[in-house]
Amino acid sequence: MKGRGKMIISPKDTITTPQTAVIVINFTLGTGILTLPRTSVEKVHTPDVWLTVILGGLIAMMAGIIMVKLSLQFPEKTVYQYSQEIIGKWGGSLLSLLIVGYFLTTSGFQIRSLTEVTKYLLLEGTPTWAIIMPFMWVGLYLIVGGINPITRLFEIVLPITVVIFLMVTFMSFKIFEVDNLRPVLGEGIIPILKGVKTTSLAYTGPEIMLLLVAFMKEPSKAVKATLGGIFMALIFYMITVVMVLGALSVDGVVTRTWPTLDLIRSFELTGLIFERFDSLLLVVWMMQMFTIFTMAHYAAALGLAQLFKKSIHPFIYGVIPIIYLISMTPKNINDVFKLGNMVGTLALFLFGLLPLPLLIVAKWRGGKQ
Amino acid sequence: MNLSRNNIRLLSVSLLVLLLFPLTGCWSSHEIEEQSFGVGVAYDKDKESMVEKEFDKQAEGYPKKNLITSTYQLITPQVASSTTDQGGPPQKSYVNVSETGDSAFQIVRELSLRSDAPLTSPHMKVMVIGEALARSYSLEQIVDQNLRDNDFRPSCLVLISKGRASDTLESKKAGEIPAFRLAGMIDNTYRTTRILPPMSLIKLESKIQSGSSFLLQNVLSANGEIKFAGAGIIKGKTKKMIGFLNEEELDGVTWITGKGKGGLVKSFDKRTGQLIVYEIESMKSRIEPHVKGNNISFDVHIESEGRLSENWVISGNPLKNQFLQRAQKNAEKEVKHLIRNVTKKMQKEYQVDVAGFGNQLRIKHPRVWMRVKDNWDQTFSEVSINYDVKLTIKDYGTSGSKK
Amino acid sequence: MKMKRWKSKMRKIGNHANENENKQESASQDSTNQFSDEFILNLEVVRKEIGHNSDVHFREFIIGHTGIQASIIFVEGLSDKDLIDKHIMTSLMADFSIEYQQEQPDVKESLSNQFIKNQVLSISDVEEVHSIKELASKVLTGSTALLIDGLSHAFILGTTKLKTRTIEEPVSEALVRGPRVGFTESLSDNTSLLRGNGETENLSLVKFQVGKRSKKDLVVAYINEIVDPELVQEVEKRIKKIDVDNVPESGYVEQLIEDNYLSPFPQVQNTERPDRVMAALMEGRVAILLDGTPFALIAPVTFSMMLQSPEDYYERWIPGTFIRFLRYIAVVLALFTPAVYIAFISFHPGMIPTKLAISIIGTKSGVPFPALIEALFMEIAIEILREAGLRLPKPIGPAMGIVGGLIIGEAAVQAGIVSPILVIVVALTAISSFSIPQYSVGITLRILRFAAMLCAAILGLYGVVLFFLFMMSHLVKLKSFGVPYMSPAVPYRLSEWKDLMVRMPLMMMKRRPKMMHTKDPLRKG
Repeated sequence: MKGRGKMIISPKDTITTPQTAVIVINFTLGTGILTLPRTSVEKVHTPDVWLTVILGGLIAMMAGIIMVKLSLQFPEKTVYQYSQEIIGKWGGSLLSLLIVGYFLTTSGFQIRSLTEVTKYLLLEGTPTWAIIMPFMWVGLYLIVGGINPITRLFEIVLPITVVIFLMVTFMSFKIFEVDNLRPVLGEGIIPILKGVKTTSLAYTGPEIMLLLVAFMKEPSKAVKATLGGIFMALIFYMITVVMVLGALSVDGVVTRTWPTLDLIRSFELTGLIFERFDSLLLVVWMMQMFTIFTMAHYAAALGLAQLFKKSIHPFIYGVIPIIYLISMTPKNINDVFKLGNMVGTLALFLFGLLPLPLLIVAKWRGGKQ
Repeated sequence: MNLSRNNIRLLSVSLLVLLLFPLTGCWSSHEIEEQSFGVGVAYDKDKESMVEKEFDKQAEGYPKKNLITSTYQLITPQVASSTTDQGGPPQKSYVNVSETGDSAFQIVRELSLRSDAPLTSPHMKVMVIGEALARSYSLEQIVDQNLRDNDFRPSCLVLISKGRASDTLESKKAGEIPAFRLAGMIDNTYRTTRILPPMSLIKLESKIQSGSSFLLQNVLSANGEIKFAGAGIIKGKTKKMIGFLNEEELDGVTWITGKGKGGLVKSFDKRTGQLIVYEIESMKSRIEPHVKGNNISFDVHIESEGRLSENWVISGNPLKNQFLQRAQKNAEKEVKHLIRNVTKKMQKEYQVDVAGFGNQLRIKHPRVWMRVKDNWDQTFSEVSINYDVKLTIKDYGTSGSKK
Repeated sequence: MKMKRWKSKMRKIGNHANENENKQESASQDSTNQFSDEFILNLEVVRKEIGHNSDVHFREFIIGHTGIQASIIFVEGLSDKDLIDKHIMTSLMADFSIEYQQEQPDVKESLSNQFIKNQVLSISDVEEVHSIKELASKVLTGSTALLIDGLSHAFILGTTKLKTRTIEEPVSEALVRGPRVGFTESLSDNTSLLRGNGETENLSLVKFQVGKRSKKDLVVAYINEIVDPELVQEVEKRIKKIDVDNVPESGYVEQLIEDNYLSPFPQVQNTERPDRVMAALMEGRVAILLDGTPFALIAPVTFSMMLQSPEDYYERWIPGTFIRFLRYIAVVLALFTPAVYIAFISFHPGMIPTKLAISIIGTKSGVPFPALIEALFMEIAIEILREAGLRLPKPIGPAMGIVGGLIIGEAAVQAGIVSPILVIVVALTAISSFSIPQYSVGITLRILRFAAMLCAAILGLYGVVLFFLFMMSHLVKLKSFGVPYMSPAVPYRLSEWKDLMVRMPLMMMKRRPKMMHTKDPLRKG
């Protein structure tokens, strides 16, 4: 009925260009929104860390372009399928497995940090599995529909996120102090460069393009979509970092585990229906985490399905216990952040460094033929 | 429909299984009327309350050093229902509970041994720290629990009190909740220059971490009445309180930082010795650091616009610019006096910079700041500071000439 | 298994016994099903077949001056007495002996088929039937049968006249501004309303019959030049698949052709208003009209259409936009208010403003139930009240609603069973759900509200968010006749949004919705 079999991509399963950009944005914004102010300032120590954020975004854009160009060499094939054409059967399979592993780890990490924040602020007494299981179940329900429902849900979630996030963040203007952001480049350019690695890690997300190009209706616009998506994420991160630093200052931000949340909790607008807006931010953030989780889950299942040339369904279900185990691995919150760093480093290697040589090899091979 | 038969079955089965679990209980659900809301907390140096002494007499407690007395101002369910009841005479709308111990967190949990409605702090508005406690312990340690806790919101305001902090949480007026009163008063910055801009927990954290010295609003209490009077000085290095600035001096600090939103300058006319009052509508201050080699100096430019709001000089005629300028000069002199006063106190008596000079140095000359920041308070006491003050009286209300 | 075997055994015995009987009967049955040459015999057979019904009448007469016997058979009440008397009886008993004599001398021959049909019967709707069964079924649906001595078939004259309502404003979809015209139970009335609405050349009305036992007429309407032919095919395919005894209301049709019967959301729209149907047809949708019900179906449908009312278009765009916004807010309120209340009260008291929290504690401390229980209690009470209000006779109904709401709420608060804040929450929810134009969606939201409350009671705000995501996932996967349910919100197509949350001025809405894949994309000309 759906043509599920070897060809996961049936003609109806295409996504438009704006949809691709939406997926990229949603997949990028995640835990980083809450922790980026702290992780970046930890390395940079100056208030002009927003420049580092911009630099990180630019680097992500470059990586994104390379990945898209790589995927464009093999129309209608995902990375799992064409990696074998570039570096041979075993190399390609290994690479695919690594990528699948990456997606599994990142989804486990994201769901774990969601659980941490939820337990901290919303549901103190609830056991961890009671938080994770329903989440995974709803994700499962969405994913079995294929790429199109996932995309459509992303499109619904994104405007809500944008509106609420901007509204809530700008309300913190009440406690915003410009002085906390000055001086710019006071200590020169070196501190900024020190933080670039950390901020680039916050931009993990565009690697999903390695899969998405195969689903696009108009692959020629893939580059535009990717850049658009990363750019939006950049704006988000910029606003976050600026507002958080403006209120908390460099010294205050490094001691807070979830600085963005503290920002929203630090002010009250008496009389304005809600008065306290951290509930809104949490709602929006939870939806974003859901989008990352489901996309990563789907990407991992897709990878395994294409690797073993079977239908995607058993893998969607089969991968769940693995993700669950990964999410339960870190023993305390420090370990959670370490897991996050590991994910980031893996991403840097797989998607920052590898695509370029792969692209060169692909072009060379293509040229030969 | 995208779900094939198998999918539906699998999903429904897993859903049913999943649904069984929540039946075991809603873990984090605590009904709102079963808790007491803490709206204010006061930390004092230990002094066990009568009740506690009673309890101690009757039975062994638990190992603790009597370091801190926390007094929590609670809105218990009984109190809340009595305040919202339409009929009946207005009753006391809050309950104060004190507990002594050495761990702030343990003290909180101890309260659950004394009440059926345990404390929950998301609505904490005010934290008052007693002078004695602030002098003995580092602020960082005192507020550590509050910053770590997920209940406390970082928007909670922090105040210092001269005398016992728990006294500031008392009120004789029926229906008034002292914590709300305190929190509300902090909003009065637009009326007077003698109140500091509100210091929330999160800002406090930033200040503590930065290592610079700062001020905390001071509260006096007497007979259930309270008054904001001056500020406590917290030394950056030790994070302990080292002294007070009185109201006048706080006034001066506000002028230096330029953060005032309203208030007045009372001056006495040089010629006649009579009162002239200048009401502040806006003020602006610019601190310019100058670095010449190892020499650091500051220029402070203060500007303000306002109106003439009280004039006891009978012979003065506000309709004439001449008089206005005389009034201006008088006010300017007064301001300068305030500032010089407080600067002397900052530099000579306490050797702290609480007016933000260091911050400006950091912004304008970051490299110099890197050098001096570790010992800034010391260095500050030796820098020279120049002022110029310019006030402009825009109007004089609706009462003009005297003749 | 045992039942099956036992049944087949019984059948075998029965068959054997019947065989002999059947042999005898079938002989006579065959002969009796067909008309014989004998007039009297035919009449007897027909009498045996349907004569026992009290409303079937036989009128025997002589045709004209020919002396030939004839009889009409009709059902009182269903057939048009006027037509029978003025046209059938008159034309048949008229004096046409002159023409008759011009025909063949053989009496029986001369009353030929053609003669009667062409020159005597002054009725527009004439058919011929050759079997008794057919005659019986036609007569029982209102037609008149004409048996003539010498003819081995019968004429069926269309004289059906059903009793119908006058055209009045639809009760369930009253508008402030708009035509006060609603469909009635008569299919022919309804189709005439559609035709009368304009666009006649391209309006196609294709007839089907549904229901195995009591066959009902069903008409599929669409505008030829606009609609996507694949859509029409799909609709017709699904209608042909309907396999039930009886289709009393269009709701049956809806449930038998919809995409996903497990979904709480309706995938076919129903309406009593012809103007709504015409507007839908103009957009390239397909309408289904069923005889016997004023509710027409429109397919495909999307979520946003459920929240639209024709009034949005009759009013100017600013009020139209404003009211639409209001409706969207109402949907959110209707769905989530009680859930959010439970989440905040039971789980996150820190998220509500302080003053509100204190007053809630004050008023709620006397209530012995946790938030979920009191919310469920009030909500279920309101739902029962609502249902009761529908059943009560007109004069009491609305009053009951008001009385019920006010007094029971007040009393409940006084008794300390619920807190006053909850009464406000429940009232807000109820009012919001009333403002949704499509009743079916209103019911859906009412049901989902309970699910949201349960999720909130288990996992607080987190549960509410999960519920929202789950519902959205479902909606996003749902399709109505191939059109994704959440169009035009997703996938993003900016040009489609002119009619979504806002109602852009008519000048700007030049194109038909892309999701319908219409043949003629421009609305003008």
